[in-house]
Amino acid sequence: MKRLILGFGNTLRGEDAFGVDAVLLLQNNTLKNTTVLSAFQLTPEMALEMLEYSHIIFIDTAFSPSHAYALACSLEKSNRVNLSHHISAFHLIDILNTLYGHFPSFEIFSMLGNNFEAISNVVAYKEALEKTTQFLMHY
Amino acid sequence: MKNKTILIEPVTRIEGHAKITIDINENQQVEDARIHVTQFRGFEKICEGRPYTEMPALTSRTCGICPVSHAVASSKACDELLAVRPPKAARNIRRMINLAQILQSHALNFYHLSAPDFVYGFDAPKEDRNIFKLMQTHPQMAKDGIALRAFGQKIIERLGGKRIHPEWIVPGGVSHVVTQEQAQTILDELPQAFDIAKRTLQYFKENLPRFKKEIDAFGNFDSLFLSIVGKKGQLEHYDGLLKIIDAQGNVLEENIEPKEYKTYIGEAVEHDSYLKSPYYIPMGYPKGIYRVGALARLNIANGCGTSYADEAFEVFKNINNGKPLLSSFYYHYARIIEMIFAIERIEILLRDPKTFSDNIRSYAKINRLNAVGCSEAPRGTLFHDYSSTQDGVITGMNLIIATGNNNLAMNKSVKQVAQTFVNPLDITDGALNKVEAVIRCYDPCLSCSTHAQGIVSSVIEIRDAHKNVLQTIQRS
Repeated sequence: MKRLILGFGNTLRGEDAFGVDAVLLLQNNTLKNTTVLSAFQLTPEMALEMLEYSHIIFIDTAFSPSHAYALACSLEKSNRVNLSHHISAFHLIDILNTLYGHFPSFEIFSMLGNNFEAISNVVAYKEALEKTTQFLMHY
Repeated sequence: MKNKTILIEPVTRIEGHAKITIDINENQQVEDARIHVTQFRGFEKICEGRPYTEMPALTSRTCGICPVSHAVASSKACDELLAVRPPKAARNIRRMINLAQILQSHALNFYHLSAPDFVYGFDAPKEDRNIFKLMQTHPQMAKDGIALRAFGQKIIERLGGKRIHPEWIVPGGVSHVVTQEQAQTILDELPQAFDIAKRTLQYFKENLPRFKKEIDAFGNFDSLFLSIVGKKGQLEHYDGLLKIIDAQGNVLEENIEPKEYKTYIGEAVEHDSYLKSPYYIPMGYPKGIYRVGALARLNIANGCGTSYADEAFEVFKNINNGKPLLSSFYYHYARIIEMIFAIERIEILLRDPKTFSDNIRSYAKINRLNAVGCSEAPRGTLFHDYSSTQDGVITGMNLIIATGNNNLAMNKSVKQVAQTFVNPLDITDGALNKVEAVIRCYDPCLSCSTHAQGIVSSVIEIRDAHKNVLQTIQRS
């Protein structure tokens, strides 16, 4: 089984960088049969690169006004179909399923955050990073 | 009966966030309609006090869809501050990455944002007008869109190190050479991209007759057109002189150095939008309305300079017997021709031995204190105007973004479409979609043009004669 871990977010926008920061930590370790990538945002053509993986783990920050730094897995899908230049993880999986007949298993690891200007609580942020990366290294 | 206003918010399938207001008068007719850009970022201020060397990377953060365009225009402004001309290899590489940017951006607009309207019609149920429905009913078209955009994005990644916000375009040139191996990889993928672009052109031409009503009413009015052109008057995106023509094709200005832009372009500020309204100064505001972007470029150019694009260009020009096409619906057509041109031109640049020279950067200290960089972004002419200290610290900046140039035209188009298609007594979703669709013709990048930040917030608002909101329609 080939696995892809894809962390995404804007490193200039505070807690939105969680996925990218997690990938930076994971890159220091050897993960069996796993490719680790980071991206600024998810775009449709990434589907082409995901075709070779049977399991995909996305890491991102999900907006939550009241549960900052809580960790969540595979939050419920939004039903929005509007898009511009970037899309959601669910949309990418939709593209893989519908257009390419590829059905990888996938999970979305999210840190809940409410500050996209800065990291409000550096200690809590680092703890969330540590927990996520440790979990993934032994997953 | 009271006057009322319709508010469309958010405006969907565009880059960035906006709302539309439609004002209904006491006779139940559309009195006015406007697009309001609802965000502000203030990049001109953010950049003040920073060294010029940071400008290409910093200003490219304005946008996630056309960062390369900003990096190119910014680097050109920095070249001017240094008073250097980048070596030929650097100019070729910058040109190539700019074309890759235009290609991927145009592909995004056509396949992901606009194709659902072309395939299902503007009056189709709204649940059908999206890329996900397209994936089910027209999977090859959806795959084509992904493949063509991937082709452009991969060129940017290979040449610039990453797909979004590459930082390798620098003052004086570029920071890395292109290798023969990189070039060959791109050349190997090029035929597939070319086939897709040609197929897209064929599809669009075959389907164009279905959209006569939209062609007639989607921003179909007299205006000026502005773009840069090459030395022989041909299509040009990286370097050249400014040219302005009128709706009949008469030349109003040509051979204008971009640094002289302030003589010709003024910027009006509207009270209800963060997007400025540039206009042609000799005709005043708001009469000096002009359009930029793919349609303007093809209306102004006398040719493309590559074989297949020139064939398509000739057919395009013949639609109005060589005179400018005035309907903004033709932006879609023009963008497809530009995609073909971009692929052909990238191939030419990759086969030019000078592209592979090691001499890729010119060095100098600050030699000028004011400089303008100008290039053609996917959406139109882009100006970066910098003032600097002798030490290279930026003290002033003015950015005229491609989408901003089209602001007056977008507003006029929204009004025309609203007056043509919106019946205040029976407001249909199809009519509201057309109001949005005319904005998509311009493929506006509002994040860029206002340098916007924030969470999506856009709507269609219905207002009475006193600007009281009677109805708000959420569009997302």
